[in-house]
Amino acid sequence: MSEQRALSRRRLLASVAALPILAATADGRSISGHLPWSPFAGEPPKPVSPLGWYFFTPGEIAAVEAIVNRLIPADSLSPGGKDCGCAVYIDRQLAGDFGQAQRLYNKGPFMPGLATQGYQGDLTPAGRYRLGLRALNDYTMATYKRGFAQLAPAQQDAVLAGMDGGKIALKLKPGFSTKEFFEMMLQNTMEGFFADPLYGGNRNMASWKMIGFPGARYDYRDHIDKHNVPYPRPPVSIYSAEG
Amino acid sequence: MKRIFLAIAFAAVSTAASAADVGAGRYQSVLGDCEGCHGKNLAGGVELMTPFGKLVAPNITQDKDTGIGNYTAEDFRRAMKEGIAPGGKRLYPAMPYPAYARMSDADIAALWAYFRTIKPVRHVVDVNQLRFPFNLRFMMRGWNMLFFRPAPYVPDASKSAAWNRGAYIATGPAHCGTCHTSKSFFGADTGLALSGALLQGWFAPDLTGDRDAGLGGWSARDVVEYLKTGRNGHSIASGPMAEVVEHSTANMKGADLQAVAVYLKDLPPSAGNGGGASGVEAQMKSGAGIYRMNCAACHSFNGRGDSVLFPPLAGNALVRQAGAQTLVRVVLAGSKAVATPAAPTGPGMPSFAWKLNDEQVANVLTYIRNNWGNRAPAVSADEVAKIRARHGS
Repeated sequence: MSEQRALSRRRLLASVAALPILAATADGRSISGHLPWSPFAGEPPKPVSPLGWYFFTPGEIAAVEAIVNRLIPADSLSPGGKDCGCAVYIDRQLAGDFGQAQRLYNKGPFMPGLATQGYQGDLTPAGRYRLGLRALNDYTMATYKRGFAQLAPAQQDAVLAGMDGGKIALKLKPGFSTKEFFEMMLQNTMEGFFADPLYGGNRNMASWKMIGFPGARYDYRDHIDKHNVPYPRPPVSIYSAEG
Repeated sequence: MKRIFLAIAFAAVSTAASAADVGAGRYQSVLGDCEGCHGKNLAGGVELMTPFGKLVAPNITQDKDTGIGNYTAEDFRRAMKEGIAPGGKRLYPAMPYPAYARMSDADIAALWAYFRTIKPVRHVVDVNQLRFPFNLRFMMRGWNMLFFRPAPYVPDASKSAAWNRGAYIATGPAHCGTCHTSKSFFGADTGLALSGALLQGWFAPDLTGDRDAGLGGWSARDVVEYLKTGRNGHSIASGPMAEVVEHSTANMKGADLQAVAVYLKDLPPSAGNGGGASGVEAQMKSGAGIYRMNCAACHSFNGRGDSVLFPPLAGNALVRQAGAQTLVRVVLAGSKAVATPAAPTGPGMPSFAWKLNDEQVANVLTYIRNNWGNRAPAVSADEVAKIRARHGS
């Protein structure tokens, strides 16, 4: 015991001694005179390919397309979530950094958090979709003897409303509730609907046309004095060269 | 005792004299922008891509083995004014000895006095990386015979003292024509002096009084402000001129800048830029949409830019040069303006290579070059493609 303590103290001292050195190297870059600049610099977002699937399995595709179509049904305002590419958007996100929680700390210890702190467990977003969609399929097969995609729209709405309202409990994992799964899908569907088309959703800028958002423009000085006159130009994507 | 006094007095006088020389010589190196090619410590290494291959600026510190520490004052004068190094070695005119030939011997001697105080740096430079047969130095003997007309600067008595001082600086030590005067197939000056030229993938603009492409729209005060601070209400120095401003013109004396401005403003207009584009309605229409999306936020819808931060494109001579190479390069690669003590911001322009294809770059540049009263030849997608391939993206 005492030997162990001596060891840890020695290690502590060594690490404290190393600290200034590490801090110095971490803090060593100072900029003066010239700001750094290099030609052809830029890390533009890469437009996703609209073809094929990168994460979802065929069964999952059918379910997710049905879900986004119920969350954003086709009506006089806009096409449905599926035709707007929301499922494609979610697929690309789950296949990329977001799906792997690249920018989040996701090692233990895993403790229950507050509702405001979001998901605290060990599953990545990709893992949560995989688990959630399997549990949803198990639920609809047990209840209706069909997958979610094969249910009538009213039945689909009832299932989604049950997940949202706490009436349906899918077999997920402790710390990952059915309501959380529903809210995650709703959040990602809205992102797919409203995000720049380069990410795979918001096809033909349908949502931006719906709400009158002119898109990735950044200068309205030629219009700013025209009060009560709608902005006349159509929306543009980050990748639109002309507008 | 008396002798010691005398010795001290003599030493003090001679030190004072050489200190004055050294100061004057340091200023000559500012005028000549030696650092621009030979590097901050003058130990060489800056690469010059010429049409004949690559030249690397040599070490000109006082190091005896790898620099010019073995030169005598006369050796130095000859290299500067005749392009011949000790041992009869011919220099290439990338070292602007055709311009330095106009410098006075007194200025060259002062520069040498300053060079003698330069810290020796041991640095071997592989200077001559030209292609065969240009790498054969003796060939320069023939070149000199054909094209080199060494002549000291002769003041023009019909002009003011300021004009003559400006002409001496611009055509002598500051060697403006090395970039701004077009070169023949043989790399010799050709055409009207300072009427603009393509060099190392940049188009060095027309400095004559032409109203479209030259400095016809600039006042002498504009010229001084540009050279001193790197920017004025018309333009911002970027690319190679940013380095010239930083190392050289920003450090020139006010009276000398004024003199250069007087001289440049008196240059007769060039033949112009070739006139405006015609039959390019489709390019202009597409260009307007591209301009709105990508350029207007900084350069503004009316092309007037924003004060000294975002240069105007309307009435900007740089936009109306005969050759659009610099513009294409700036749009593709982006650009970083010079930062000087008087204007330390150094605004930058982002790269558009990722967003605009060759045709779109050509369209927006044709639009900019022929809108708001600008008139200049159209830009083609082929031209953009070549520049993109050459400079990478």
